[in-house]
Amino acid sequence: MMQTTDWRAGLGLRKAGIYYALLILLALLAGIAHSRGLPAYLSAQNLGNIAYQASLVGIMGVAMTVMLITGAFDLSVASVAALAAAVLVGLAPSIGFPLAALAAIVTAVSVGLFNGVIVQFVGINAFIVTLGTLTAVRGLVLVLTDGRSLMVEQPEVLQQMLAFESTRVPLFWPLLALAVALLAFAAFRRRIAPGLGGIVVAGLALLAGRDFAVAAPVVYLALFTALVWAVLRFTVVGRRIYAVGGNAEAARLSGVNVHAYKLGAFILSSAAAGFAGVLFGCRLGAINPTALQGAELTVIASAILGGTSLFGGAGSVLKTVAGALLLFTLTNGFNVLDLGASYQGLIEGIVVIAAAAIYTIGGNRRRAA
Amino acid sequence: MVGAPLLQLAGVEKVWPNGTVALRGVDLTLHAGRVHGLLGANGAGKSTLIKVLAGAIPASGGMVSWRGEPVRWASPRAARAAGVATIYQHIPLVPTLSVVENMLLERAGGWRADRAGRARAKEVAGLLDNPFDLDALVGDLPIGTRQMVAIAQGLMADPALLIMDEPTASLAGHERERVYAVVRLLAAQGHAVLFVSHFLDEILSLTDEVTVLRDGRAVLHAQTADLDEAAIAAAIAGRSVAALERRPRAERAPLNPPPEGEGDRQRSWWWRGSTPQASSPVDNTPPPACGWSPSPSGGGLEQYPPTLELRDLGSSGKLAPTSLTVAAGEIVGIAGMLGSGRSELLHAIFGADPAARGAVLLHGKPIGRTPEESVAAGIALVPEDRATQGFVAGMSVAENIALPRTGLFQSPAQEREAALAAIERLAIKVQGPDAPVGELSGGNAQKVVIAKWLTPDTRLLLLDEPTAGIDIGARTDILRLIRALADEGLPALLVSSEFEELIGICDRILVMRDGLVIAEVDPETTDEAALIQRASGNFPSTGMAA
Repeated sequence: MMQTTDWRAGLGLRKAGIYYALLILLALLAGIAHSRGLPAYLSAQNLGNIAYQASLVGIMGVAMTVMLITGAFDLSVASVAALAAAVLVGLAPSIGFPLAALAAIVTAVSVGLFNGVIVQFVGINAFIVTLGTLTAVRGLVLVLTDGRSLMVEQPEVLQQMLAFESTRVPLFWPLLALAVALLAFAAFRRRIAPGLGGIVVAGLALLAGRDFAVAAPVVYLALFTALVWAVLRFTVVGRRIYAVGGNAEAARLSGVNVHAYKLGAFILSSAAAGFAGVLFGCRLGAINPTALQGAELTVIASAILGGTSLFGGAGSVLKTVAGALLLFTLTNGFNVLDLGASYQGLIEGIVVIAAAAIYTIGGNRRRAA
Repeated sequence: MVGAPLLQLAGVEKVWPNGTVALRGVDLTLHAGRVHGLLGANGAGKSTLIKVLAGAIPASGGMVSWRGEPVRWASPRAARAAGVATIYQHIPLVPTLSVVENMLLERAGGWRADRAGRARAKEVAGLLDNPFDLDALVGDLPIGTRQMVAIAQGLMADPALLIMDEPTASLAGHERERVYAVVRLLAAQGHAVLFVSHFLDEILSLTDEVTVLRDGRAVLHAQTADLDEAAIAAAIAGRSVAALERRPRAERAPLNPPPEGEGDRQRSWWWRGSTPQASSPVDNTPPPACGWSPSPSGGGLEQYPPTLELRDLGSSGKLAPTSLTVAAGEIVGIAGMLGSGRSELLHAIFGADPAARGAVLLHGKPIGRTPEESVAAGIALVPEDRATQGFVAGMSVAENIALPRTGLFQSPAQEREAALAAIERLAIKVQGPDAPVGELSGGNAQKVVIAKWLTPDTRLLLLDEPTAGIDIGARTDILRLIRALADEGLPALLVSSEFEELIGICDRILVMRDGLVIAEVDPETTDEAALIQRASGNFPSTGMAA
């Protein structure tokens, strides 16, 4: 009986609402496209595009979710990503792409370390510290670029960067394999959720066709999400991340090194931002000093859409990615269907608040029952 | 002798939306000028009843009459307006505001400075014999004084009935005395007081009549003068509780630690075993929940090196350098008032106090000074405040119990099994291992916190007030478990404000005052009053000693 209520709750509005919202939105946009005689909205190419557009925010969002689960907050991710992109584009011509990418990520990690040390050991609220680094790091980008756009001009370096970012990865067979694995797992362990996931994945693969391929960042996002999800779900480290956010003192007195976990979250967040910055720099082979400005809010909005609590102790990276996809589906829909770009921000904001309201009201009701 | 009842409940019921029945028809009559004690085990329905009286939740059935008129308060505000003030256990004050502003929180009006309000606050403070400075910041006050502020806040509207939910649970002896004095004063002034408590002695000395709840029913209603502790305890538990009485040392298991390495097999852990019933096959210890009994003698304390040795362990301003040894199988009690350094000592041993200096040796090996290293070495701490230090409310019973586990991967099946075994061995009342600990009652949550450490790797238990705020049944379960574990060789340091507990189960008792161990006492030759006298120093007699 317990099992039954478990999977029912798992498919309920509060647990799976973000997935329903994403599906409903896609169906709605497809319907509008059809009624206006536009090309099919749910084409493999367009869906791949949405995922591509969401990939950078998704990567940062996954790390942000870990951050929020531990009970901290990072506003500086977009600035850090821009800094990493600037370091990459600035150094790549002289030291080559791989070393420049490494330097970019090391730079990003050092900002994360700075944030974490100040928050943990000086004891200043993460919101304030990262608000400071948001501004300061953006200033550093301006200093480094001298306020102008930087570009990579060597064709062979540019080639490497484009190869890293824009290679299209064929996904038909990998997706089918994943679907079969999920279904086999579901049948073997008698679980509902992986079975549904397998069906969805198989459906998508068959719908997209044998030539389906996506840009590399989508694969990076998928791999990173899978890795973090597995760590959170299956490892002791994962449980301790939730415990640190749920009750730091209880975790500490249970022998958990709370400082290390909180510091680790800052480093992960900045490293992910650095990687996103590298991808961003590669995308254009150039960086302008205002690149990615404001993206941190989209990142946090994705996590909130995915139901991550700002108070720590709860959150899911899969849902954060779904949240990012939802936000970029909205953006994409407004563009492709020409629904009036002026309404876009308004609608996005309302969606975030509505999602938070659903989670909060659902949470209260559960507590009251 | 008694006039018309002020408040009368007849058959009050409460059924939660999910079908849980909290109250099954409670009758209760309160009179002006009388102190009425309300007791019951955790989960008996006390909190629900208080919330119904306070107007915080509606009753599902039955009748509430106030001054003879049937009433149905729709909100706490309505109840307050009628003259019912409720002081909750977890004192809901705003720590960043001053005392007077906290007292005026309820008042309507436009201006922050309220001269009439301040005058009233002054008057109320005068009633209580001015226990605090009106302009002090509440966050700066000690917890006992905060309790006074909460009482003062409740008295602002001059209520006819004051409901106090365990007002002394978090207070030390002399602070409790102040609360008792206030309660007596209020009753003398004609207020009715409903006094909810776990402490039988204070119920007996303070109240005029007593109601005991069990399973949502009022199972006992009597004049306090006709009752004694045993009668109340029996009503609470529903069975006759053998009071926790000390056995002479000769009768108990000898201090018989297994040699290194064999301990795992001898102890009745469930972590690796398949069934909890398979416990302690070697030393004939009966199942722990049934208490302890003699087991074959086998050597004394002197033969073994001490399990724990402290060398000049101290922390500036909190704990004077302390040296002591604890042998395997020994329970060392630490008696002291709140702030005497007793928790600080445990935290210093556990490495949770970064300022602590000195050495901690376990089985002769020095232990690093962080909680991680202590846990790795087998030191376990059950902290004082379980809600903020002991468990993660949002996590399940199984996850909380598995929290100290290290290694790379979680092992859900094993963790579930361990949780099920813990639920059975400690008699934890819970739907299952997947229930969040935040939904459990105090005693059951505490059992989960203790269960967290019952692994074969634990070499030393540090227990900080493990029985605070929990009902007598759970309390006895926990104390018996500690004794049983010690008899299997696991030593423990036990801090408790209930000195009778220390006398009941400890092998020796250290008395602490002002961060200093001032005496070592043999529990066989001391009594509670003597301990209180030593520990409380300037307060030679408190309510607890009476």
